[in-house]
Amino acid sequence: MFGGLREKLQAARSRLGSSIQTVITAPAADAEKTGVSDKSASAPEKPSVPPAVPEIPVKPTIVDKFKVLLIERELIVSEKDVSEALSELEITLLESDVALPVTDAIIAHVKKGLVGKHRKIGESVDSLVVGALRDALLDVLGSGFDLQAYIRSHPRPVKILFTGVNGTGKTTTVAKIGSLLKKQGFSVVIGAGDTYRAGAIEQIGVHAERLGIKIIQHPEGGDPSAVLFDTVQYATSHKIDVVLADTAGRFHNKANLMSQLDKIKRVMKPDLIVYVDEAVAGNDAVTRAAEFDKTVGADAVVLTKADMDSRGGAAISIAHTIGKPLMFIGTGQSYDDIAPFEPADVVGELLGDA
Amino acid sequence: MLDGLSSSLKDALKKLAGKTVIDRAAVDELVKDLQRALISSDVNVKLVMELSKAVRTRSLEEEPPKGMTVREHVLRIVYQELVRLVWASTDVKLEPQTILMAGLQGSGKTTTTAKLARFFQKKGMKVGVICADTFRPGAFDQISTLCTKIHVPCYGNPQEKDALKITREGLASLKEQELIIVDTQGRHALEADLIKEIIDLNLLTKATHRWLVIDAALGQQASEQARRFHEAINIDGVIITKMDGTAKGGGALSAVAETKSGIVFIGSGETIDDLERFDPDGFISRLLGMGDLKALMEKANEAIRPEDVNVDAMMKGKFTLRDMYKQLEALNKMGPLKQIMGMLPLGNMELPEGVYDVTSTKMVRYRIIMDSMTPKELDDPSLINSSRMQRIAHGAGASPDEVRELLKYYKMMQRTLKGLRGASGGKFNMQRLMKRFSGMQ
Repeated sequence: MFGGLREKLQAARSRLGSSIQTVITAPAADAEKTGVSDKSASAPEKPSVPPAVPEIPVKPTIVDKFKVLLIERELIVSEKDVSEALSELEITLLESDVALPVTDAIIAHVKKGLVGKHRKIGESVDSLVVGALRDALLDVLGSGFDLQAYIRSHPRPVKILFTGVNGTGKTTTVAKIGSLLKKQGFSVVIGAGDTYRAGAIEQIGVHAERLGIKIIQHPEGGDPSAVLFDTVQYATSHKIDVVLADTAGRFHNKANLMSQLDKIKRVMKPDLIVYVDEAVAGNDAVTRAAEFDKTVGADAVVLTKADMDSRGGAAISIAHTIGKPLMFIGTGQSYDDIAPFEPADVVGELLGDA
Repeated sequence: MLDGLSSSLKDALKKLAGKTVIDRAAVDELVKDLQRALISSDVNVKLVMELSKAVRTRSLEEEPPKGMTVREHVLRIVYQELVRLVWASTDVKLEPQTILMAGLQGSGKTTTTAKLARFFQKKGMKVGVICADTFRPGAFDQISTLCTKIHVPCYGNPQEKDALKITREGLASLKEQELIIVDTQGRHALEADLIKEIIDLNLLTKATHRWLVIDAALGQQASEQARRFHEAINIDGVIITKMDGTAKGGGALSAVAETKSGIVFIGSGETIDDLERFDPDGFISRLLGMGDLKALMEKANEAIRPEDVNVDAMMKGKFTLRDMYKQLEALNKMGPLKQIMGMLPLGNMELPEGVYDVTSTKMVRYRIIMDSMTPKELDDPSLINSSRMQRIAHGAGASPDEVRELLKYYKMMQRTLKGLRGASGGKFNMQRLMKRFSGMQ
């Protein structure tokens, strides 16, 4: 799902690279005259390294150029030019649905990384620009979440509560995770906690039937806490490993619905609260993730609809806002379309190297 | 979040205040703030860049109309450019027609279908619904439950997997109905099979309208998805859903720009009546978090109508229930009271929290209660004793406690307004502000 973002980042990088190169070629000539020396103390003299571009025998990649050139620019060109270059990166992140405040934070982080770099020039030059970006993104995405290991290391039944706003795909996610856990050899029971939306009980019921998973249902309009309490009771008495509790979608600004969720939490005492949002969400992802985290808490995040050609900015936004690990991403309409989220891989992929 | 941005926009505008000549630096700053406000509302980044470029050029090149300050001139341009994006509101005719619903998974098509059915039914049309969602379990249960509640016939068959077959049968079985809404399965533009299906559905139904349902929270993807849907079935209207959350719906704006269509309806709640026709002004106000744009436009056109609200009397502290009634009515269109109060430059003055703490449902209740009052009572609420209160409550189907609550709210409003008057000081032209405040209504 991050394919788009990667392309954009690389395109931006190459644009940055070329724009910087034009600036750099002129001073580079001077630099050669002054001699290749790390001893020269004054910053403007430093561009001893730019020849690195022609010198590298292997055809330099865009990434290499970027690394070298941006750093060199930092030394030669004024701070203002750097921020211009970074604003390009900013637009790229924004176009990828990274929310504005999060983008600001990342840009600030990268900038800081580059400025810090400024002093240490002469050491390993190349790794640090990409390093700054990588650090920023890794920092934001945190580590993944291994559900299987979590379940193995906790007393059964492990109770998982799914929350989120309307239409993000909670019910489908519950079914997918149910299917996954079943394949991993866990016994699963689903609680049909969405008693509000018409057809929701039928929807999760059909999923459970297809997957051969036991489901606890009450009639429409019932108290979701009661359904989920019953589900936990059932799991305890039947020695079931995992309880998956579906809930109705609700907006974080509806106090009554949020306090209902709070009640559910009190009644069923979930071990894990999983916040479900969609990968295509824009800036609101930040607002609602923060609200959900604040009112009922969230231990992990599932991002759905990642197959919609999205650039994955929502992942970065949410992770940055609530600092909780992303557990899974949903990538399609069938039960198997769910994949664990591996931040290191994603960042590696984003930056075009491992 | 957006509050912060709209305030930064206001700060930028403040810098223009009192200037007689356009200040390039101030305009640049304003444009930057505008960009940030729009981007954080999820409007497409490219669209934002185009728009802000236009604002910048026009602000610097156009002469401000006579009698208009520089600040107002720039604000007017911002407003006009925004309106240009969303102005085209699609005509909704009350005549026999077929409406095909399209949209991404989970955008709210089914709920919106039921709301639309309700909308047209209330306008006196015979409505029928076809459930062509053959994929999602429970889809037919959902729409048929909703339709049963409003007594609208709904055709569907959860066993059948062929959406075209269902639709063909549905059209035949519902041919008595004047208006047919076809609810479809959620799909995104990269699912070739499903796009093919909706093209076929469009051909089969010969749909009068093909409306794209867009979640208010949808981000930058909105443009791309809308473009592809448009290519497939020629979208002629956009419906924004879930506007009752905190999302600003900028994605829908991108979709409208992409499909060259207008926003038809806005869904803003979970009950079947929570559907409104689109009002560009209210939408932009919300987008920018500023309420006074429309009032400003009216001023520009020298079209300020005689005030509904007696500003002078209000400033003297005479604020009757009648005034409050009008305000509540206006609030319905305007959005939350907090936003409106936000227009008033009150500085750091603290307003009682409770003033804002009135939900929209309560507003409706309050209006109903006030409908049961006599003109005398509306003019002078102090008349209301316990026997009158009983009568009002009885008439409005409310409890006396609710009437009491209303009166308490009224008193709070009155105190707040008095406070405003006190805080306004000599220099500050409160009267003009109140005029603007009421001009919005």
